Formats: sequence, C-alpha cells, structure tokens
Amino acid sequence: MLIERRWKKWVYFYLPLAVFVIGTLFPFYWMLITAIRPDAELYRSWRAVNNAPFWTLQPTLSHFQDLMTRTTFPQWLWNTFFIAVVSTAISLFCGLLAGYALARLKFPMAGLLGTSIFVTYLVPPTLLFIPLADIIRNFQLGNTPWALILTYPTFLIPFCTWLLMGYFKTIPRELEECARIDGATRFGAMVRIIFPIAVPGILSAGIFAFTLSWNEFIYALIFLSSPEKKTVPVGVVSELIRGDIYFWGQLMAGALLGSIPVAVVYSFFVEYYVTGLTGSVKG
Amino acid sequence: MRRPIAGGSGDAAGTVALPHPRTGRRPRRGALENERLLAAVLLAPAVLLLGLFIAYPFVMGVWLSLSSTSVGNVGQFVGLKNFVKAWNDSIFQTAFWNTVWYTGWATIFKLALGMWLALLLNRHFRGKRLVRASMLLPFIVPTVLSTFAWRWMFDPTFSVLNWVLYQGGFITTKLPFLSDGTYALWCAIVVNTWRGMPFFAITLLAGLQTINPDLHEAASLDGANGWQRFWRVTWPLLKPVTLVVVVFSIIQTFSDFQLIYVLTGGGPANSTHLVATYAYQIGVATGLLGEGAAISLFMLPVLLLVVWVQLRYLRRLEGA
Amino acid sequence: MDANPVNRRQFIKVSGAAAALAASGIEGILAARQAPASAQGTKLHVVRWNDFIPEADKWLKETGAPAASKALGAEVQIETINANDVQPRITAAIQSGAGADIFFMMYNWPQLYQSALVDVSDVAGRIGKEQGGFYGVFEPSFRVGGKWLGMPHSIVGNAIAYRKSWFKEVGVDGFPKTWDQLRKATAALKKKGRPFGQTLGHTFGDAPTWAYPLMWSFGGAETDKSGKKVVINSKETVESVKYMTALWKEGCDEGGLAWDDTNNNRAFHAGEICGALNGASIYIVAKRQQDKIKDDKGEPMWRDIDHALYPLGGAKGQFPLYFSNGHGVMKYSKNQKLAKDFLTWLHKKENFEPWFKVCEGYSVAATTEWEKHPMWGQIDKPLQMFRTAARSTQIFGHAGPSSAKATEAFSKYIVVDMYAKAVQGMKAEDAVKWAEAELKKIYEA
Repeated sequence: MLIERRWKKWVYFYLPLAVFVIGTLFPFYWMLITAIRPDAELYRSWRAVNNAPFWTLQPTLSHFQDLMTRTTFPQWLWNTFFIAVVSTAISLFCGLLAGYALARLKFPMAGLLGTSIFVTYLVPPTLLFIPLADIIRNFQLGNTPWALILTYPTFLIPFCTWLLMGYFKTIPRELEECARIDGATRFGAMVRIIFPIAVPGILSAGIFAFTLSWNEFIYALIFLSSPEKKTVPVGVVSELIRGDIYFWGQLMAGALLGSIPVAVVYSFFVEYYVTGLTGSVKG
Repeated sequence: MRRPIAGGSGDAAGTVALPHPRTGRRPRRGALENERLLAAVLLAPAVLLLGLFIAYPFVMGVWLSLSSTSVGNVGQFVGLKNFVKAWNDSIFQTAFWNTVWYTGWATIFKLALGMWLALLLNRHFRGKRLVRASMLLPFIVPTVLSTFAWRWMFDPTFSVLNWVLYQGGFITTKLPFLSDGTYALWCAIVVNTWRGMPFFAITLLAGLQTINPDLHEAASLDGANGWQRFWRVTWPLLKPVTLVVVVFSIIQTFSDFQLIYVLTGGGPANSTHLVATYAYQIGVATGLLGEGAAISLFMLPVLLLVVWVQLRYLRRLEGA
Repeated sequence: MDANPVNRRQFIKVSGAAAALAASGIEGILAARQAPASAQGTKLHVVRWNDFIPEADKWLKETGAPAASKALGAEVQIETINANDVQPRITAAIQSGAGADIFFMMYNWPQLYQSALVDVSDVAGRIGKEQGGFYGVFEPSFRVGGKWLGMPHSIVGNAIAYRKSWFKEVGVDGFPKTWDQLRKATAALKKKGRPFGQTLGHTFGDAPTWAYPLMWSFGGAETDKSGKKVVINSKETVESVKYMTALWKEGCDEGGLAWDDTNNNRAFHAGEICGALNGASIYIVAKRQQDKIKDDKGEPMWRDIDHALYPLGGAKGQFPLYFSNGHGVMKYSKNQKLAKDFLTWLHKKENFEPWFKVCEGYSVAATTEWEKHPMWGQIDKPLQMFRTAARSTQIFGHAGPSSAKATEAFSKYIVVDMYAKAVQGMKAEDAVKWAEAELKKIYEA
C-alpha cells in the first residue's frame, strides 16, 4: 500500500468512515433510546424547552416489560424462529442439490431449467398470494406455520441455488474425478467430497435464507390470522398499534428484540457470509 | 497416474480436464451414474416446490387478472379490461412512475455509497471486523422494524430530525417529511438506500478482494492517481459483480412492498404508492382481486427486461 | 402447537387478562355442564377493531368473552386488530375459505361482502324491535335486498374536540358555529402557533368523517338519488374544495396530510393543536390520564376540552358522517348458529350495558332505546352531546343508495383525496374534475 500523509488519511478515510458508521447505526441508537424512554418524555412537544432527544435521564424498562407480558411477543419470536429455521433447511436442501446439478452435470435443458429457476424470482408476491391462498386452503394449512414454511422456499430456493452454483463452480472438477477414479459413485462423490468443501457456501446461503425469511412480511400477513401464530414483523405492525395509539415505546422495544436473534446469528457467521459471497462472486 | 490436486481459486473456465486412466478401478455403475437421471433426481425437490407454489399460482394469477373476480364473487373472463383500466388509472400511473423513480435513484445511491464504503473497508485498520459486521445491520434487521424506527424519526409532530435542524438554525418550521408527496418519496429513497447499501458494500468488497493488489501497484508506479486507478483498474474488473448485484437489487426494489407500506401506506393522497402497494390496496383492501392481479402483472415485463439486459451484457463482458 | 390448553391459557394471560380471569375461560367450559354437547369444545373466533377506547376492548376480552363462553358453552375468542387491517383480513379469509366466524363490519361493508355473509335478519329483527328500532343509517348500509346481512352494533360519533380557553382568547365563546367563523378563528390561532389539526390522509375514521360531511353540507354529492349518475362536479363541491384549501393554509397544521387517526390525538394531548375532529377519545383519554396530560399551565388538560358538533352551519345543510359499525357472520363459518347466538347474547340488555357504560359516549348503541339510559345524565357535560349524535348520520353514497360502489369509492379515498390534492396546490376545479373521473370509473363502469 502507498504511504499517505496523515491529514489525507483523516479526510479521505477516517472521516467518511465515521460518517458511514454514524449514519448506518443512528436509527438503531434511536430505537434503543425510544425503547427505554418513559412515555411522558416521548410525547413532549418538540419545541419544549427541556426536550433532550438524544438521551434520557430516566431510563425505564417498562416498555420491554409490557412487550413481553402484555402481548404475545415471545410467541412471535418463537414462531418466526421456527419458520425461519425450517424453511431455510428446506431451501438449503433443494438449493444444494439443484445448484450442484446445474453447476456440474450436463443434461438437456440445463440452461433453460437454470434460467427458469431464476425467473421465478421475478414473480411478484403480490400477484401470487391470492392463488396461493386457494392452495393453502385446499391443503388446509391456513393459519398454521406450514403455510409459510412451504411458501418461503419459493423465493429462498432461487437465491440459494444461485449462490451455491457459483460456489460449486469454484471447486475444481479434479476432486470429483479423482474420487470417481477411486471407485466412488457420482452421488457419493458429491456428498462426501464436494459438500464438505462447500460448507462455507452452504453456511452463507443458509444465513442469507434465514435473514430473508425472518424479514418476510406479506405472506405472513395474509396467511396468519391468530395473534399467537404471528411472526414478529406482522405482530409488531398489527398488534402494537392499538386504535388511536401507536405504542412507540413498545414498538421500538419490539423492533430491537425482533432484530437481535438475526443479528446474533450473523455475528457468528459473518465471516462465512463474506467468504461465501467471495466464492460465488468469482464464479 | 494421479495429479496433485491444485486447490483454491480458479473458476470453471480454467479447469483442466484430466484423462481417465482406464487402468484404475472403474466407477461402479448404478442408476445414478447416469448424469441425466442424477440431474433429474437432484432437481426434483426444487422443481416440485417451485412448480407447485410458483408456477401454478402464477398461471392462476394470470387467469385472475383476466377476470372480474372480486372477494367472495367468482368472476367471468373479461379479457384485458383490467389492464386497460389500470393503464388509464391516474393513481396507477403515479404508482408506476414512482416505482421507476424510487428504484432508479435508490439503486444509484446504493451503488455509489456501497462502492465507496467497499473501497474504505478494503484497507486494514483497527476494528475492521467490528465495523464490517456492524455495517451489515441495516440489511439484516427486518425491514418492517427498521422502517418503523425511521417513521418515528420522520414523525410529523415528534421528529428528531426536525428538532436537530431546528436547533441548528437550519429551519424555522417543521419539514413535512411524510406529509408532502415529494418529500415522502425521497424519504423512502433514503430509507431504502440506508437499508440496501450494506449489501452492495459487502458484495463489492468481496469482489474487490479478488483483485490482485499488484495491479494497483503497477498502475500507481505508472503515475496514476487514486481516481484513475479506480476508473481504469478497479472498475472494469468489478463490472461483472456490480452487474449481478445491481440486478438483484433492482428486482427487490422494484417489487418492494414492506417499506412503503410501513412508512407511508402509499400516502399522502396516494402520492407514494408503488405498484406492489397499490396492487395490495386494490386487491386485498378493496377486494377487487382481478384488478389487483392485473396491476401486479405490470411489474413482470419490466423485471424480465432488466434481467434480459443483464444477461446480454454479462455475456458480452465474458466474451470480450 | 395450537390445540394445547397451556398455550390457550398463555394466550389469554398475555393478552391482558389478570391471572385470575385466565382460568375462567377454561373453567367456564368445564363448568357449563348443561351446555349442549355439540357446542362443547367449539371455538368461536370474533375479529373486531382495536377500539379507540382501550377499556372497552379490555372489558370485552376479560369480562365479556368469558361470560359469553360460559353462557354459550363454547370458547369465545375475541381478537382485536388495527382497523385498517380488518378489510385485508376479511378478503384473505373469504378467499381462503377459513378464518374468523364473525368479522367487524364498518360503515356499509355488508354491501361489499354480501355474497359471503349470512342472513341475520332473525337476530336483527328481534333486537331492533325490542330496543326501539335501529337508527336510520343502518337501513341503507346493513340491509341488502331486504335482508339484514350485518348485525348493527354501535355508532362512534365524531365531534370537534377543542381547547375552550384558547378559543376564548381569540374572541370566540364556545366553538365557531359557521364555516366562516371557523376560518377566522383558526387563522388567528394558527398565528399563535396553535393551528387546527385535521388529517387528509388515508385514514378510515377522521379523514372521511371530515371530508364527506364537508362536501354534503355545501350541497355536493357523489351521485344523484338513483346512484347511477355521478354529479360530484358541481358548483357546490367546488366551493367546498375552495373553502377547504383556504382553511388549510390559514388555519390548519399542514402536516395533517400524513396523519393517521392517531396523530391528532397525540398532537392535541401534546398541546400542539387547538382542535380536532375526533371521537370522544381525546377527552376521555385526557381525563383518564390526567396526571400525564396537562396543559401549558400545568393543569390537567381535560378541564379545558369541550366538544362541538360537526359539520358546521352556514352552508346548505348539516349532514354528518359517523362511524357506524356492527358484525357479520361469515358464510364459510362452521359455527353459524353459535355465531348468531353470540350476537343475541351480546345485544342482551345486561350484556350490552357494561360495554356501553365503559365507552362513556364514545360509542353509542345502534338502537334508539339507549338514548334514555341514565348514564347520559351522569357523564361529564362535554360528552353528553353524543347522546343524540347518531340520529342524523348519513353514509357514503348519500343521497343515493349506499352500494358496494360507494364502498369502493370510500376505500379508494376519492373524496378525501379530492381535498388533499387541492390543499397541495391543485386548482379546485381540477381536483373536482379528477374526482369526477375516478368516480365515473366506479359508478359508470
């Protein structure tokens, strides 16, 4: 790297970086402050003299308390987690197999099939959900988590497939060739040799899928109706705005708590995520 | 004869095909040895799921858009009537234009800022890992939740941003963040940029890390400054990654629903509706399912066009 | 995960009931040994809106539902959701053929969902006869083809809540009685930093209940009496739009375009606005939280709040729009008889009365007999005017029939947007022309 003068470093590097960090993280700080601020302070007029929006001298945990005890928020957390994990598992399974097939095997219509899997990514959910409601009703899955577990893979699989396909392409073919020379079946080579190497890619696709399904809103809004079955995004939107009152304190508490599980998962796996993207990007 | 296996990077194009020495043990012949059969088996789960939950509903959705179905009433075939009605609907026109405007500007901002951040993060500094991880937060936190935080920040009565600007002497009356159509759309663009930029940054960072630093050394030895180095060396090598990331982002942003739904609900006075939120309002809230489906379908040609352009461009890049 | 009694108990517990009441739901079922065997173990799912008086919902969930469960021998589950989410839920439920048994019906939704609702004429006829007849607004809105497809429940009256002392400061005793007076008073108050707070956003309550009466009172209407011809483009409507534009600029909080139904409450309680069209919730909440809601002198604010009737005089007439509502039984429901029994139970005098009382006038009953209830003599004077509020309310489509097309126009917020566009700068004539074109697409398609 080139040596630069100190002031240049500050202006061109540290300052922009600081601005990025502040800009990116400020809303979270705001969420936190609002969540621990007592109600009386929250609704003070903005021109009031003693308005100190950036901190509070009387932090309170009452919003968190109310959130956990007076609403079914804990249930929502569990629902969302359960749905996210299972649909991620299903999507990874399908994506793994499909990605391998598309990356490695030669068969007619390979290109066409690959393209059509990606094209499904383009179909907007706002179009699909009414016919999907019909299907869900025919299978009698309405108002159960399975309605979501089976519909989430529709947008998770294309992405997982793409990611893993790219990853597989970076693994040299020699590995399988040698394995097959040693007597392994195609299938065996795939499972025992390639998949273990692809673990970083699998992890990164898995995290991405987990995040996407945690984030999903419109299907959950339509297919789940009972309060105790809802997922966090839907529950927060529909239950924490009661009548004339937006319970901003609880809303922000819910927003924070709803984000933590995903953030935790990420913090463990962010290295894999970046590596996985790197691998697939090269492909 | 065995070759030592070369590990690590290298893409498919650089793979060398080994000759199969027939002197070794032959691979066992089972049903799954057939490439085609194996492919079929491997692809079956994905194809089944996608077929059942996308292809079939898609066809149904198209049929719905060609009918006069409303909630509780089976409709009859009406041909392109819903499409014509939507085309002439001034709210739809606004929504369509909004979607284009919103997607366009948000993508430009996300690309620019993401690229800049990626360049910044490509250097070594203390706390790099922490910064990198925290940069991702806007993207991984559920959209609905973070948009609520922004909504609170833009609140007409209690906005903290208004307070800051007021205290700083920049304004004397409250800025109508969400009360004015133009302002509100720009606010949405800001929130979308905030949310999506990390994805750009991290992906572009991954791309940057595949560029050999020797190239930069060579360029600067030749007398190129920072800007020229970026433009002549970095950018061309990043084009494929950028293209892929941009296309994915356009697809997501164009069909965005949650952000507008939570931030403005399409208001004020329908001025911030996107195609997806308008389709929802017509189809679900008002119950006119046929019309709602038709509105949703307007998104599809645009997205197909975007993807087609990308594929062509990528092919050209790879061919060059 | 869902048929587990522990979860049910947890659900009731965490949704606000005290621990003691949590068990009564289950015990109620167990105790009702004389209940018909067929109803045993059945669940009746009722979806209502989040009442703007939280105590009313509290009563319903903690006292009403368990009592109803006991009386009917089945488990009654009352779910309340944000009012704006009710319609999407109904649509999703009808399309997927599964969902709540009873849905909250607002305004004239029975017209919209007529093909999916059960005929409840037997229940409605009986209750109507017993309690002095329904208010006029329910006839066009809840009755389709001579049959009652919705069971009227209550009417939420809107009135203008205002700060007495502030209006006195600008020389108005009480509240302005005519449109012109309102304009002058709010102009003076806005100069003092205390504008009038009205929303023109896409809210189901405050925005339409302002916009429609404004149009009607100036003499405008969506259609003629037959409901087939769109007549909104008239001199009268244009005049009402011009008035609104002037009022907006001179006297209103211009952030109101982004307000939903909650913003005006919060702004009022924070002392930001001098008045707002709202239900009685501003007053009631101010009173019930008087230690938190104070005026600039440090006194509890509720003492300074009074109500005035809307719409005002000085134009062609006074035609209010109040939020009339009720319940509908869904055709796909497997518990239709149970649902009807529940509705009968709900409207029995002894069961309706506690809910009625806790609303303190925010919601009035759908039948006229409740005007005579002694509660009216006991509540605060500012709330007493709601007693007869329901008599004169109209509904969308006035003066034509209130058909599904009128509902469509309402859900597309055409009338509200007409005013919103004008206050944002569009010429009044153009805004009205726009509304005319949009209405034509619906009524004359």
